[in-house]
Amino acid sequence: MEVLGLRDDVTDRAAMVAQNTLQLIAFSIGEQTYGVEITTVREIRAWNGATPLPNTREYVRGVINLRGTIVPIFDLRARFGDGQTSPTKNHVVVVMSVGDKWVGILVDAVSDILTVSRDDIHAVPEGNSIDTELLNGIVTHDGRMVGLIDLYSIVSGAKLDG
Amino acid sequence: MSELDDFKATYFDECTELLTELEEQFAAIEAGERDAERLNAVFRAIHSIKGGAGAFGFTGLVGFAHAYETLLDHVRDGRVEMSDDVVALSIRANDIVADYVNAARSGDTLPPDYGAHEKSRFDALCRGEAVDAEAGEDGGEPMDDFDIDFTPVRVELEAAEGAAEEDDAFEAPPFAAPAGHWELRFTPHQALYARANDPLLLFRELAALGEITVRPVISDIPGLADFEPFGVYCSWEITLVAPSLTEAQIREVFEFVEGDCDIVITGLGASAPAAAAPDPADVEEPEPAVRTPDFLALAEDEIETRGTSTSPAAETVPQADAELASGDSFSTPPAPSFAELAETIKPVQAPVAVRPAPEAVVPAAPAIPPSSNDDGERRGGGVQSIRVDLDKVDRVVNMVGELVITQSMLTQQMDETLRARYTELVRGLEVLAQTTRGLQDSVMAIRAQPVKSVFSRMPRLVRELATKTGKKIKLETIGENTEIDKTVIEQLSDPLTHMIRNSADHGIETPEKRLAAGKPDTGTIRLSAEQAGGNILIVIEDDGAGINREKVLQVARDKGIVAPDIQPTDEQIDQLIFAPGFSTAEAVSDISGRGVGMDVVLSNIKKIGGSVHVRSRPGRGTRMTLRLPLTLAVLDVMLVRVSGSPYVVPLSSIVETIQCSRAPFERVPSGGRVLQVRGEYVQVIDLAQRFALPTEADPDSQMLVLCEAEGGSKVAIIVDDIIGQQQVVIKSLEENYERVEGIAGGTILGDGNVALIVDVQGLKTTLHHKNAA
Repeated sequence: MEVLGLRDDVTDRAAMVAQNTLQLIAFSIGEQTYGVEITTVREIRAWNGATPLPNTREYVRGVINLRGTIVPIFDLRARFGDGQTSPTKNHVVVVMSVGDKWVGILVDAVSDILTVSRDDIHAVPEGNSIDTELLNGIVTHDGRMVGLIDLYSIVSGAKLDG
Repeated sequence: MSELDDFKATYFDECTELLTELEEQFAAIEAGERDAERLNAVFRAIHSIKGGAGAFGFTGLVGFAHAYETLLDHVRDGRVEMSDDVVALSIRANDIVADYVNAARSGDTLPPDYGAHEKSRFDALCRGEAVDAEAGEDGGEPMDDFDIDFTPVRVELEAAEGAAEEDDAFEAPPFAAPAGHWELRFTPHQALYARANDPLLLFRELAALGEITVRPVISDIPGLADFEPFGVYCSWEITLVAPSLTEAQIREVFEFVEGDCDIVITGLGASAPAAAAPDPADVEEPEPAVRTPDFLALAEDEIETRGTSTSPAAETVPQADAELASGDSFSTPPAPSFAELAETIKPVQAPVAVRPAPEAVVPAAPAIPPSSNDDGERRGGGVQSIRVDLDKVDRVVNMVGELVITQSMLTQQMDETLRARYTELVRGLEVLAQTTRGLQDSVMAIRAQPVKSVFSRMPRLVRELATKTGKKIKLETIGENTEIDKTVIEQLSDPLTHMIRNSADHGIETPEKRLAAGKPDTGTIRLSAEQAGGNILIVIEDDGAGINREKVLQVARDKGIVAPDIQPTDEQIDQLIFAPGFSTAEAVSDISGRGVGMDVVLSNIKKIGGSVHVRSRPGRGTRMTLRLPLTLAVLDVMLVRVSGSPYVVPLSSIVETIQCSRAPFERVPSGGRVLQVRGEYVQVIDLAQRFALPTEADPDSQMLVLCEAEGGSKVAIIVDDIIGQQQVVIKSLEENYERVEGIAGGTILGDGNVALIVDVQGLKTTLHHKNAA
């Protein structure tokens, strides 16, 4: 009985730990590191060009063929308003599922898989609406800031107005 | 595994779809969306269910659906208001239709008065009475209410008393009731008189069979205030005493008015109920000689799958017996399935069976499968096909597409040095290429089917139409082995049925008129299919009277389809027959004439990317041409380049290509350009400019692609370069992104890149405000 009790205790704790932590895929855009929850990531692939779409905002880089389905690619740097990335073969597309759709985001490089505690997620400082709109929160890793990307807001509003 | 059973299975599949649609439409209607489009959709669904039910002789369903349809027609015309009560009643009616369909499918029998209450309410509503007056409380017993007595069903209610224990009497009467005493209920419809049939002649024919007593039922005659001059209020009860008479013989008397009357035949006598559930071996006995040709036809498959057999009956009957006995595969007891058997045979009695008889001599009644509702359970071990979910096939098609792309990518990687060094690898790749191509062909072949599967339903339809309309019609079919994608074939059945009905009902004249016009008394409908490039052309041609343009235009003006101040061309008038709610038939008949048919044709054909064209010559006939894509999955395109990116333009929309340097451009005030093509001025769209792409191409090296949008209007598109022509598989952009204006979708090219499909129609429709800005 005691043994069993102890085990229950252990699994509970493991579950608690699991519940309370978050695994992130961290990637970089310039000097800055960002992350998305690992469970949303479907695939990471090297940039190999995309077919541009007409009449879209500059951060929609176009569409690629992902094993027979057409997936749109969003340029994260452009989404943050820093101008379009000039992609090379070393740039990386992170394909993720957002709701029932698959989208890819173009980033400079994928750096690491991070495990962070949910308790360590800080709110995004108020001030610039772009920050609060595009980030869900901020965590610290190795003394550096990692912005948690809000996937839905990245994807929305892709069409040109009017 | 007779053809008939295949058709039935298809019909029931269609019914399931249509019933689902009804469900959806009414969900919206209940939620308050009471617009004409929804009502039309409901009407079409009921019309289609009724049409098929008529073909298979499900009289109960036809009767009910007809009454329901009449109500819907009144609602559509605004004669009956679409109140909440009417909506509630309609939803109930849908359930009844569904029950009838399910009963017909499973071979069960519904009580003869099933839905009678609702039916009487339809009639009451159509006569302008409030829905709840007699509806609500008197519990579905309209019998004591004279006002609503005028319904065929009420008559059947009474008849059912006589047939109380014999529940097969209504839809599928027993094959052979014992000798002796017959009770008949004969309720003519208005159409019977409209076609100049006289009940008296029918009674005389009956009298020739035996001793008859005829009693008119006049209780249905309303008060003078409600009396309609052309209304039919009288029906008859007939007692026929004839010792050695089969029901088939009695039915034969009514053969030419079938569908224009309700006829209920009840065999009375000690053993009537027993006759409803005979031993399967009895099937052979009552087999009259008349039916033999049809049995031959039904037996064709039988012989094919079993190999030649000297005595099919000896072999098949025990088998059917065994199946009936095993009972585990279908829950219905022998009696209903036998009833279904009777039903299966009944509609084929039309005397014009002009099928070539197979060489094998088939004795009477090789067992017809007792269970047609279970497709998986085809008899014997001779099943050579399986049913596969189309989704699964599509997945294979997609994967093979990917494989082809990967294979071509690999091949492209092989440069000359590699080729020289790795000969084994090269050989392997060549084999791979061949195998992949073979695989692709085979997969596409799975989806392709000969149009025969649709065409072969038509001769029967024409026979029945000929019988019903009293015309002489011959059907010729050509090119029935032409293969089309399965999805296209499925969408083809409804439109074809309607078009042939239309030809038979409106096109072909009566024999007298034909003779007077110097034509042979037998009209011909020719149905042909042929492949023309990436399209399939299906032509329905008749040598009838042609479209009466004056009348068509008149009706169109009356119905507000054509404004009074517009004078359409002959061709435009011909096309009017496809307008929703349009019908020139003077009398609404069982066959066509409610103005839904051709409307259905156009919407179904458009849905699968096809077009319909009508050409008519007064007095000479009408030709309707359906142009359909070979497949919905593969598109023939022209690959072009705009600003360095590949785009594809559907080949079907391209008229011609012109070099920009030679194109006769003209300027218009907006700053745009127009192109003069054979005296016609065509709008020019620069794709790069339109799609906000950077252009670096030399204007003189650019190409102009002249496209034809819907309705024949043209538009010229400027592209940087034309790369070539190929087949592509259409992929959705919306699946992971959203609709993009001017783009109809995407496709994956041989090198794995995505090319966008130019939406010619979309470019054209958004042209005005975009260019003006």
